[in-house]
Amino acid sequence: MITPGSKYFFGLTGLSLISAILYMVLVNPSDLGAIALFGLAGSGALIGAMALFTRDGDVYEGEEAVGASSTGGSPSFWPIVFAFGAALVLTGLATVSAVFILGIAVLIGGGVEWSIQNWADGASADQKFNQFARARAISAIEYPGLAAVGLGVIAFFFSRVVLAVSKESGPIIFIVVATAILVVGVLIATKPSMKGTLTVVVSVLAVLALAGAGTFAALSGERHELAVASAEDHYDASHRECGEEASDHYDHLANNTVSLRSAVTATIFVKDGKVYAEAIGMKTKVDTITIPRSNATSVMFRNLDAEQHRLVVNLGSAKVAATGVVEKVGTCTQLTGENQEQVMTLTIPKPATEAEPYSFTVPGATGEIKLVVP
Amino acid sequence: MDIVNNVKSSSHRIRNSIATLVGLVFLAGCATNAPQDTWQPRGDNAQVINNLQWIIFPMAGVVGVLVFAFAAYTFWKFKDRGQPIPSQSHGKPIVEIILTIIPALILTVVGVFTFRGIFELSNTEDTQMVINVTGQQWWWEYDYPAQAEQGITQPIITSGQLVIPVGTKVLLRETSRDVIHSYWIPALNGKKDAVPGRINLLRLQADKPGLFAGQCTEFCGLSHANMRMEAIALSKEDFAKWAANQQKAYTSPADGTLAKEGEGVFLNQCIRCHQVNGLKKADGTPALAAPDENVYSGAAPNLSHLMTRNTFAGAKFDLLNKTCRSDVWDASPEAIGAKYLAGVSESCLNATDLRAWLRNAPAMKPMYSDPTKLGPSGGKYRGMPNLGLTETDIDKLVAYLLTLK
Repeated sequence: MITPGSKYFFGLTGLSLISAILYMVLVNPSDLGAIALFGLAGSGALIGAMALFTRDGDVYEGEEAVGASSTGGSPSFWPIVFAFGAALVLTGLATVSAVFILGIAVLIGGGVEWSIQNWADGASADQKFNQFARARAISAIEYPGLAAVGLGVIAFFFSRVVLAVSKESGPIIFIVVATAILVVGVLIATKPSMKGTLTVVVSVLAVLALAGAGTFAALSGERHELAVASAEDHYDASHRECGEEASDHYDHLANNTVSLRSAVTATIFVKDGKVYAEAIGMKTKVDTITIPRSNATSVMFRNLDAEQHRLVVNLGSAKVAATGVVEKVGTCTQLTGENQEQVMTLTIPKPATEAEPYSFTVPGATGEIKLVVP
Repeated sequence: MDIVNNVKSSSHRIRNSIATLVGLVFLAGCATNAPQDTWQPRGDNAQVINNLQWIIFPMAGVVGVLVFAFAAYTFWKFKDRGQPIPSQSHGKPIVEIILTIIPALILTVVGVFTFRGIFELSNTEDTQMVINVTGQQWWWEYDYPAQAEQGITQPIITSGQLVIPVGTKVLLRETSRDVIHSYWIPALNGKKDAVPGRINLLRLQADKPGLFAGQCTEFCGLSHANMRMEAIALSKEDFAKWAANQQKAYTSPADGTLAKEGEGVFLNQCIRCHQVNGLKKADGTPALAAPDENVYSGAAPNLSHLMTRNTFAGAKFDLLNKTCRSDVWDASPEAIGAKYLAGVSESCLNATDLRAWLRNAPAMKPMYSDPTKLGPSGGKYRGMPNLGLTETDIDKLVAYLLTLK
């Protein structure tokens, strides 16, 4: 006899097979989608067979089934959650993708909970046992899931607060909150008598305070310099300020990431008004940097002078197709202060001509580094 | 009875087949003609790995044999013969302590030698020469930055075959233009991934002149198995000659020759992707290839001095015919330099494969070069397409390519 648990998976198998065949006929027979659907069908069949073989983990017994058949299921709000998820999915399809993703999550969560609830209701005639079976089947998912959602909500609200307050206040708030959590945690751990209502009240108040502060901060917006920096959009490809710096807020260490720092082919320095370079693996200073054609390659610029400098790469000139005007080609880093760094990533498709060799220069400093693209 | 005999007979056949297969695999390990054998180091770095292997493999072998033997003995000795279940005991502290301490000691010994090897291999402080190595589907590009002390005053670019001077600590700066590849010449060092956007360092050093085979060891697409490479170690004198030749200016074929006509075909067809340094268009302006407009990786092999290499198409095919190839590969360390530097002459050219490649490259090496299926790569080829050249054009091109020495 087919067990209730395996029915769902066999149903999934059938549905996936039909979907896969329809997909192959209507969309693309060799597409990844068909493979995925067949994979889902195979997985469903395998799990269904396992559920059938193990008789749903021996929970299901013949005589209990007789009793179960005469008892009704317990009231459940999961169908409502499931329907709400479906509504969110449809709304998300018509509006924004975030709503769609949230809908998928609610749909899956509600569906799983509903299925398990339904399965547990039919497990035996004993409601207590059924609740136990349900808890045993779903708790391993519910608790980590709820914890993850809870942590996500806390992180979101807390991040809004830190982004809204001043740069100096952020760490202080972080330390105070972290200390408060530690103290409360220690108190609860060392004074078991505190457990109970008081703990719940403190936790709820803390969450409400965080939610209130986070909501207020989110409505107030990010602090001024972050808002301005965002509006300046330093990551926009059109943001080229090889002349006087026009931006008020820019990150002097914008490229100071481990991945970029560990993948630079050479470092160009300015010291005492002179430019020089070192390349990976070369023992001596180099006056030429070679980078492969058509490949994103990073060069680091390090300013050792008190005066601010920027690195400029000169890549010859080219005729602008729209206007027919010949313009210089090149780019630059942002102004870089003393002992600070910027990384410039270049992708150069063609070698230079003899008439217009490529080079790195630093306005205000003497010397240049030749750039060779073989 | 017949059924029982048949079952026994097929069972014997299966057992014999497995035994034969295992024997053949075991015997294959004794092959001497194995250019990618990890047990034949030809340089300091590979020797470090080899020394480590000679410590770890015997230890692992002894442990493996003991475990298998003990397991087999246990299965045989205590198999179910209908005997009563023996009395059960739980926990034996002395045995547990011994079985914890022995593996810990073994792992400590392995760890000490392994870490020592890792630190030795990662040393790049005393590098004497630097070469940029760029992987892409499915070939390797080598460019040598200017290094006056190595006789390189202007950058050299080549592909397929890495040329290094003997006894020189060479640092490869590896990266990739498309997907992750892995550079491995077993006789000279271990593997190192070439990752887009990163520069990974690998040191090589060859003790004696010779040719060393290698292969990409990170699955990188359709022709991953055909992405080969070779390292050629030359004496310092021979390397200086090779480097000087690579820096020689381009010479256009004489007017009125078939090769000159081939240069015209090259300028019409091949220059779209392949660069020949110094080649000029009819109007005297430099002929610059535009692989970035046609190839997914943005690069195609630079064919300057092509006939100084022994291979083409990602070292998949030989430029030398069988006789001349054997002459180079089987040469003694003393003689290999002169033979390699001789390059590819008309009499030594493997015209069959080269012509077939020019006629229809995708038929020779699997590549994503069907014009109707370039959607995933934004309309760009991965590999070389079929250019639809006529036999006359191929004649001219072969004549021209033979001049690129």
